[in-house]
Amino acid sequence: MLSALIKKEIRANVFSFRFAAVAALVLIVVPVAVLVLANDAVRKVDEFSMRRSEIENYLKSYAHFNRLRNVVQPAQPPLPSYALVRGISSDVNIEEFDDDPLPVMFPLIDLTFIVAILLSLAALVFSYDAVCGEKEDGTLKLMLSNGLPRAKILFGKVVGGTLTLLAPFLVALILGQIIILLTPRLAWSGADWAALGLLFVGAALYVSFFFVLGLFISALHHSSSASIMTSLCAWVVFVLVLPNLSPYLASLVSPAPSRIKVGRETARLTDVDRDELGQKLVKERLREFYKKYPALTKNSFGAEAKARAEKDPAFKEALEARTKEVQAAWDEANRVQSAKANVLRDDLARKEEAQSKLAKTFSMASPAADFSYLAADLTSTGLRNRKHFAELARLWDRAYWDYVRAKTAALVKKDPLTDWWNSPVDVGDMPRFEYKEESAGARIAGSLPGLGLLAGFGLLAFAAAFAAFVKYDVR
Amino acid sequence: MPGRPSGAFRTMVRKEIMANLVSYKFFIVILLTSVLIFTSLFVMARDYKSRLADYQLIRPKPGEPIAVLAPNPLSIFAKGLDEAMTRSFEVNALGIEVRAGQQSGNAIFAFFPAPDFVYVVKVVLSLVALLLGFDLVSREKETGVLRLMLSNPVSRGTVLAGKWLGNYLSLAVPFVLVTLLGFAVMGLDPQIEFGLGGALRALLLLSVTLLYIALFLSLGLLVSTLTKKAASSLIVLLLVWAVAVFVLPNLGTLLARQMVDVPSVKALSEKRQQIWTREVLLAITEGRGKGAPVWDAARKAHFDAVNSEFDKLEADYRMKFDKLVRLSKNINRISPAASFVYAATEMAGTGISEEGFLKDSVVRYKNIVLKEMDRGEKIHAAFAYRYRSVGQVLAQGGLFDLAWLAVFAIAFFAFAHTAFVRYDVR
Repeated sequence: MLSALIKKEIRANVFSFRFAAVAALVLIVVPVAVLVLANDAVRKVDEFSMRRSEIENYLKSYAHFNRLRNVVQPAQPPLPSYALVRGISSDVNIEEFDDDPLPVMFPLIDLTFIVAILLSLAALVFSYDAVCGEKEDGTLKLMLSNGLPRAKILFGKVVGGTLTLLAPFLVALILGQIIILLTPRLAWSGADWAALGLLFVGAALYVSFFFVLGLFISALHHSSSASIMTSLCAWVVFVLVLPNLSPYLASLVSPAPSRIKVGRETARLTDVDRDELGQKLVKERLREFYKKYPALTKNSFGAEAKARAEKDPAFKEALEARTKEVQAAWDEANRVQSAKANVLRDDLARKEEAQSKLAKTFSMASPAADFSYLAADLTSTGLRNRKHFAELARLWDRAYWDYVRAKTAALVKKDPLTDWWNSPVDVGDMPRFEYKEESAGARIAGSLPGLGLLAGFGLLAFAAAFAAFVKYDVR
Repeated sequence: MPGRPSGAFRTMVRKEIMANLVSYKFFIVILLTSVLIFTSLFVMARDYKSRLADYQLIRPKPGEPIAVLAPNPLSIFAKGLDEAMTRSFEVNALGIEVRAGQQSGNAIFAFFPAPDFVYVVKVVLSLVALLLGFDLVSREKETGVLRLMLSNPVSRGTVLAGKWLGNYLSLAVPFVLVTLLGFAVMGLDPQIEFGLGGALRALLLLSVTLLYIALFLSLGLLVSTLTKKAASSLIVLLLVWAVAVFVLPNLGTLLARQMVDVPSVKALSEKRQQIWTREVLLAITEGRGKGAPVWDAARKAHFDAVNSEFDKLEADYRMKFDKLVRLSKNINRISPAASFVYAATEMAGTGISEEGFLKDSVVRYKNIVLKEMDRGEKIHAAFAYRYRSVGQVLAQGGLFDLAWLAVFAIAFFAFAHTAFVRYDVR
């Protein structure tokens, strides 16, 4: 019986005008979006490899420890999944003078966007008259006179409706996949395909939530023209308003200190104040030092001193000791001042983290936001990847400083008077930052709560729809 | 026209308004619009005030070579690029150091666009206008009212215009009242100062909004006259709306990027780091251990080199980026939603062009400060930026967008008229 109901729904839907319209839209928009995104992703790949080779070339001639760390910053390479999902990967780079504010005006269109906005709208268009429309036509009365349980009718509608909705989407997705396969520069791996499969599951749950929501609203109304109004209002609130309000509400509830103020203060602490403290410490230490080594005077610097050191071993020893003394003073200044700055930075980071978390929690009341997070995390374009990237960058940073210490120790050993900080250095053996996408297993495991949430929303809506439909007056 | 055309017209308008006033549809869309507008104004006003409080903390002291713009009160209505425009641009010997404000700290901001007044209008009000217009003709055909109506001696043009105006008024009047109430509440807040110019801009923004709504109402009417059933009219309209508001502008920008070769921001920042690092090394190598005068000269020469190369990079990027902006604007204007956003944000002073002018101004300020630094001055001139006047905004694209929206609105109505004249009312 159930299969007959499902078949009836599918048949009724497939020959309807709305099916044709939605299918046409999805079949055009998805492949066009994938085509444009894939092209853009290839350009990004090209640019990234050019950037890398430029840096390597550069390091051959101008590497010096004073500013090396600024040149070799960890960078996120473009991922194959950029052909489908962009998440928050677009670089607005508001921290640079030459920023790129275009995505602020109009966010990129990607698969997430298409599912979150277009497919949810299509789901409501499919289901807004599922109950009240049949009542208006009189078919609902007839159907119930056959002794069919209402639960079965409802279930048949959900399954039949969702299947007809997902079919054109699946076809469109396959077209998109063909485009990706025809773009060999985007080397999709097994993990990418697995993530896409799960993304489709998420999309199916998301779409069925909206279908069931439409069903619920339909069972609350007795005319389909009223039902579509309520459905659209609910859709606007769920998809277009709740997610967008959430970060603003979070910043009201859980404010963070001014970034600019903290930035300026930490910059001053580690720059001007650091220099002041360093010079003071150097002066203090050297005052003691010159008492011990009267051979040295304050003016024994530069080429002259170096020439004298060649001839006079005692002088040379004193010179070396002084270099060490000065270095120790600066090390201490650096330590003290960066500890002060870190207190400020940590406080800011903690408060911003709390705010982001709260914003995310607020937005999770909207399935559209849940789906966006799910899609972004599955494809390494979201918050999860930010964390992962930060962790990789931290590990690399540690390796980098280990390398710097080892390298400079070797340089000092060779020539104790060397100015290793400001001299060109061969960094062929420096560890390079290599981005590795988080393993598919971890990403998939991380996506399970999101999937569960979407399924929970769907079940809740189904329970509500059932309650409303059982009480529905079909006359 | 036979009979009393103006009388018939007035009757039509009144009939539409009366019919709306008692309908569930009208009740729920007006409720939604009002709630959203108030929520949006409240949230964005709080956002503005907290940014203003931040600005009080970070505003430069007299003599500091820092350029920071106070947040724009009109960003409550059109946030646009205000976040980017109110960054702190700090000039030092090596150019401009930028610090961004609060919202770069909360990643969720990056996921969803700001729910400001312009967003509510762009997305929700356009939908509401379509919902009012979608069944104006086809529903009355289904119920048979249209036949009765046309059996009276009224021209079809009068009927259509009456319908349009009646529905326009029933949407625009409550919308304007709600919005003006919101504006007035903002105006009473002592922390929010619009000034006369700001109020004028806000009113202009409101009129662009009214034009935008008119356009979507005409579109609804058009599709309604092209379809026999209200249900299919609605489906067509929803899809057209989704494409116009969400797909076209977002896809257009991406498409433009594939036609104009603009280096990514990351690439540019890496280049800058490389130049800086190289020149620091060269300066040290040339000047080290050769005494103060030599060192100072080397330092000066290479810092100047850094600055001039940065300027070159900057100019090159800006040239390409402007090209990209122009192209993407022109592509996006296929969608009236994009035209609306451009017109609204530029009028509020938070648009892409305004941001460009601000950056030009910051670069000029940097050059002045660097000259002062060369002369050894420690106290620097303060940065000042004057937003473009409304006249300039209109001349530089604003008027075009307005005209473009009007053309859309009129063309849709004209097509609707043509279709309605041939409409089979049986």
